[in-house]
Amino acid sequence: MKKLIEFRNIVKQFDDNIVLKGINLDINENEFVTLLGPSGCGKTTLLRILGGFLEQDQGEIIFDGAEISKVPAYKRPINTVFQRYALFPHLNVFENVAFGLKIKKTPKDIIKAKVDRMIELVGLDGFQKRDVTLLSGGQQQRVAIARALVNEPDVLLLDEPLAALDLKLRKEMQHELKRIQQEVGITFIFVTHDQEEALTMSDKIVVMKDGIIEQIGSPQEIYNEPKNEYVANFIGESNIVDGVMKKDYLVSFDDRDFECVDFGFKENEAVDVVIRPEDIKLLDRNKPSKLKGEVKSVLFKGVHYEIIVETQKGTSKTVTMHVLEDRDVYNQECGELMHASDFTMDIEDVSAITEQELIARANAQAWDKESENDISISGVEFKISDQPGRYPVTFKTHNGTLITVNVNVVAPKYVEDKTSNVGITAFDFYKTVDEIKESMAISVDLKTWADAYAWSLDDDEEIKISNVDFDFDPINIETGDYKITFSTEGREYKVHTTQYFEEGAKVSVDFGPEDIHVMHKTIKS
Amino acid sequence: MKSFRRLVYPYLLWAIVFIVLPMLMIVFYAFTTEGNSVMTINFTLDNFFRFFSDSIFINVLIRSLKLAIITTIICIFIGYPSAYFMAKLKPNSQGLMVLLITLPMWINMLVRTYAWRGLLLESGLSPEIKVYIGMIYNFLPFMILQIYTSLSKLDQSLITAAHDLGCDNKMAFLKVTLPLSIPGIISGITLVFLPAVSSFFIPKLLGGGSYVLVGNLVENYFVTTGDWNFGSAISLIMTIVILISMYFTRKFDYSKEDR
Repeated sequence: MKKLIEFRNIVKQFDDNIVLKGINLDINENEFVTLLGPSGCGKTTLLRILGGFLEQDQGEIIFDGAEISKVPAYKRPINTVFQRYALFPHLNVFENVAFGLKIKKTPKDIIKAKVDRMIELVGLDGFQKRDVTLLSGGQQQRVAIARALVNEPDVLLLDEPLAALDLKLRKEMQHELKRIQQEVGITFIFVTHDQEEALTMSDKIVVMKDGIIEQIGSPQEIYNEPKNEYVANFIGESNIVDGVMKKDYLVSFDDRDFECVDFGFKENEAVDVVIRPEDIKLLDRNKPSKLKGEVKSVLFKGVHYEIIVETQKGTSKTVTMHVLEDRDVYNQECGELMHASDFTMDIEDVSAITEQELIARANAQAWDKESENDISISGVEFKISDQPGRYPVTFKTHNGTLITVNVNVVAPKYVEDKTSNVGITAFDFYKTVDEIKESMAISVDLKTWADAYAWSLDDDEEIKISNVDFDFDPINIETGDYKITFSTEGREYKVHTTQYFEEGAKVSVDFGPEDIHVMHKTIKS
Repeated sequence: MKSFRRLVYPYLLWAIVFIVLPMLMIVFYAFTTEGNSVMTINFTLDNFFRFFSDSIFINVLIRSLKLAIITTIICIFIGYPSAYFMAKLKPNSQGLMVLLITLPMWINMLVRTYAWRGLLLESGLSPEIKVYIGMIYNFLPFMILQIYTSLSKLDQSLITAAHDLGCDNKMAFLKVTLPLSIPGIISGITLVFLPAVSSFFIPKLLGGGSYVLVGNLVENYFVTTGDWNFGSAISLIMTIVILISMYFTRKFDYSKEDR
């Protein structure tokens, strides 16, 4: 195949924002090339530079052997199908398609023959005299394609042309576009953020991110051998796991060694491992396999089930919740009721404690018995030192109603999990029956009450506590002590399978060496 | 929905009393002679014969039409480029320009025309030129704003598409921008031509007594001579001329859209 377009180190900057950071890309004749990336990755900018609607700050575009940066848009043998079609509202279908030929002063009979042929190619025969503003989205799309193709360009640029169509029409137009491209036999450069569109139509996919090209390859290459975590995530669904490449053809992840088909990595190099959800098989627990797990959730997706399997539990910490009777204070003189609870506090927080925080932690409230209107708490008396122990805290209102609770100051107890590098902490706490019954979102409240927090031992970043386990019914709770376990997300695999498994079922997780794809880690910038 | 319809009644009343009735009265006066009483009404076409048999009246009508047409054409030729320039500015500057153009309109038209009279008093220009200056000055903003509105609504991607399909700047303007701004020009014409045909105080103030237009004739017969019948006939003729010109303007507009 002959090289048609070469982008050489294209740089483009808008104000302070560098949109393209040195793009190098070759495009061949008769190729269907897709520029794929999220919005803002620079794909449309690259297209507009090629179309001649923008000029690059640096670099050159070589088109059929000649540098064309200085050639104005209207002289380039390139036509564009615009995102919102940009059909001329004052012209009908025929005149829209004939526009380019009329500008080139083509004889009338030739215009008629070419335009009619092109209108037929896009499947709009009989619509010649129609008003373009009255056409449906799909029909406008076809007019836009015909209007561009009738000029017999060497390259057709398509700027997210299917974005405005509904799903069914979009699928239809995907096939239609591919058919038209094969029929006219010219280069199509297609811009999209839709990975499925890219996989369906392209000969070559260019995955872009933040103004650089992440990977260039055929749809099969991009899907089966993504170069890094970004590409793997962007194209299709995938399980991406941290691993270590022990040696060629042997990778270790999830505390086990696996044979694989990848090689050429440094010994003991930290890598990302990709396993596509459809490549994983789930078997009964008694079948031999390297990984065992438990089904956490099952979603029906039509053709298959999407099953999440947990092969390793997350890091967890269990605390005790002391549930007490309500003991509201009633001040008869002014008809005020007041309430507060004991609570536990981390010794490290003592030095920075404020009145507001004490009110919040003790859940201190005061209200008028008759009207139930809230009354503000005007004073907090406390004397807490940074030694473990119990300290009284007194809250009072202007009218002199007061309540005293105990604060348990304790040394923090962290749980540190060295295998998954996660730390987690939480504290015992005191609550009244009513407070638990009134909670609207018990898991969230339990996390707040216990001051539960998890973080990564690598970089101190917060890690989400995804599970709160408890064995009481919040509606019918009675006084007593309850155990609550907070845990982070464990090692999970997404599996696509046609076989149904019950939630909670113990399963074996199986995949072959060829299902494992090892990638270099992306260096975080 | 139905209850909202009642909201139109006040305006309906207004329109009947101040628009429909006067119109009917003008038609009535135009076809009758002086000295009607409740008992005797003399229908006649004399008023119209009088107008069309006197070359002075015909010349005044032609002069009025000529003035209105030339004013409109000059307004288009000054207004279009200004509007085009405005539409290309940044949004903030566009707002400022619209403000600058509408600013003089905050002052009464009569007052502004008096100001022009003072300015042109010793200029030595012919009354005709003075009237043209006054007319164009007063009506230009209407033309600019109409064209500007249609240009600023123009989808810029259409221009890009025209470039993509082989148009240089000039062709893109002729093939896309201009055709799509025709509706703006048409409504500009309506807003300039109609008041220009019937204007009477601008020629009166700036042309002195020597530049008589249809509007002045009407005023003259109603106010000075008190011949309401002939004045009504002239008004009616003017109305018909305006209606005919409106019809042709509209037709031009539609023929563009139907194509």
